[in-house]
Amino acid sequence: MLTNNNSNKMFFLFILFFSTLISISSNSWFGCWIGLEINLLSFIPLISNSKNLLSVETSLKYFLTQSLASINFLFMILIKFSLLKNFDMNNIISIMMNSSLLMKMGSAPFHFWFPNIVEGLSWMNNFMLMTWQKISPMILLSYYFNKNFLIFMIIMNLIIGSLGGLNQTSLRKLLAFSSINNLGWMIFSIMISENLWLFYFLIYSMMIFMMISLFFLMNMYFMNQLFINNMNFFIKLNLLINFLSLGGLPPFMGFMPKWIIINFLLINKFYFLTFIFMMTSLIIIYYYIRIIYSSFMFNYFKMKWVNLLMKNNMSLINLSSFISISSMILSTFIFM
Amino acid sequence: MLIYDIRFLFIYMFFVGNLIFVSKNKHLLVVLLSLEFIVLSIFFFFLVLLMFIDYDMYMLMVFLVFSVCEGSLGLSILVSMIRSHGNDYFQSFSML
Repeated sequence: MLTNNNSNKMFFLFILFFSTLISISSNSWFGCWIGLEINLLSFIPLISNSKNLLSVETSLKYFLTQSLASINFLFMILIKFSLLKNFDMNNIISIMMNSSLLMKMGSAPFHFWFPNIVEGLSWMNNFMLMTWQKISPMILLSYYFNKNFLIFMIIMNLIIGSLGGLNQTSLRKLLAFSSINNLGWMIFSIMISENLWLFYFLIYSMMIFMMISLFFLMNMYFMNQLFINNMNFFIKLNLLINFLSLGGLPPFMGFMPKWIIINFLLINKFYFLTFIFMMTSLIIIYYYIRIIYSSFMFNYFKMKWVNLLMKNNMSLINLSSFISISSMILSTFIFM
Repeated sequence: MLIYDIRFLFIYMFFVGNLIFVSKNKHLLVVLLSLEFIVLSIFFFFLVLLMFIDYDMYMLMVFLVFSVCEGSLGLSILVSMIRSHGNDYFQSFSML
C-alpha cells in the first residue's frame, strides 16, 4: 500500500479536479450535486492516507460535515424544483441552499470544523482544502444567492476570521482563520461579478501557495518554530513579505484585489460594510505583524559558528518575494 | 395535525434525520444510519416528483448510485476509525 502512494494520489487528484469542473459546468442543479459528491469521494482518500489517529479523526470530521451539507443541498434542490422557484432569489429556499454551500466552504456560522481539520492535515493537503475545495461551492453560490443573507454571512465571516485568529499559536489554524476572513471578501466579490471573484481567488491562491510552500520547505507547523530558527535573511524577508501581502498592505500583491473591492463598495455607498471590511483587516494585520516583529526584529536568531540554513531552491523563494513586491507596479504595464 | 400535502412528510422525515445526525450519540454508526435515513427521505421525495414526468426514473437511479457510494465511504471511514481507536465511540476523539 505504501509503494504506490504517488499514483494513488495522482488518480484521486485527477478526479478531484474533474469533479469541480463537472460541478461548475453542469446544466442542472442535480449535476452540481453530483460534482460535489465526487469531490467528497475523491478528497477523502487524499487526506486519510497515513495510519495515525490524527488523520482518521480528520477524515471523519471532514466526511460528516461535507456529506450533511451536500445531502441538505440536494433536498433543497428538490424543494426548489417542486415549488418551481427558479428565478425568485429572495426567499427561504435560497437561504437554505446558500447555507448548505457555505457549510461546504467552511464559511462563518458553519466554520467550526475548519480549523480542527486544518490542524490535522499536512501542508499540501491544507493547500488543496483552502484553495481548490472552495471553487465549486463559490461558483454554485453565484448561481442562486440571497443578497441580504449573504451580506450578513460576509460580516460574520470577517469578524470571526479576524477575532478567531488572535489566540492561535499553530500556524495552520492561523492560516485557517485568515482563510475564513478572505472567504468574506471572496463571497462579496462573487456578488459583484464572477470575473472579479476569479481575480481575487487567483491572487489569494498564489499568496497562500507561497506561504504554504515556505512553511512546507522549512517544515514549520507552530509559531515558536518561527522564532527559534536559524534562518537565512532572505527566507525571513520572504516570510515578512508574504505575511504582509496576505494581510493586504499596499505595496504588495495582496492589496490589489482588496483595493478593487473597496473601490466598488465606496462607489455604491456601502459605507457600513466598508467599515467592517477595514476594521477586520486591521485586526488580521495586527496578528501577522505580531509574528513578523517577533521573528524578524526581536528574536532574530543568528548563530556565529554554524552555517546559515540555506535551501537548495532559493531561486523559488527569491522569485516569489519579487513577484509579491513588484506585481502591483508590473500590472500597470499590462494594457488591455 | 391536518396534512394537506405529501411534501410535509418528506420535510418531516428529512428534519428528523437531521435531528438524529446532529444529536449527541454514543456511537458513530448512529450518525451514519441517520445519514442513510436522510437519503431514504430524499429517495422518496425524488420518486414522487419524478412520477409526474411519465416514469423517467433515470435521475433517481443516478442519485441512488451516488448516495450509496457516499454511504460506503462513511462505512470505510468507520472501519478505519475502529482499526485505529478500537471502537467507534465519540468519546475517543481527543486529538483535535
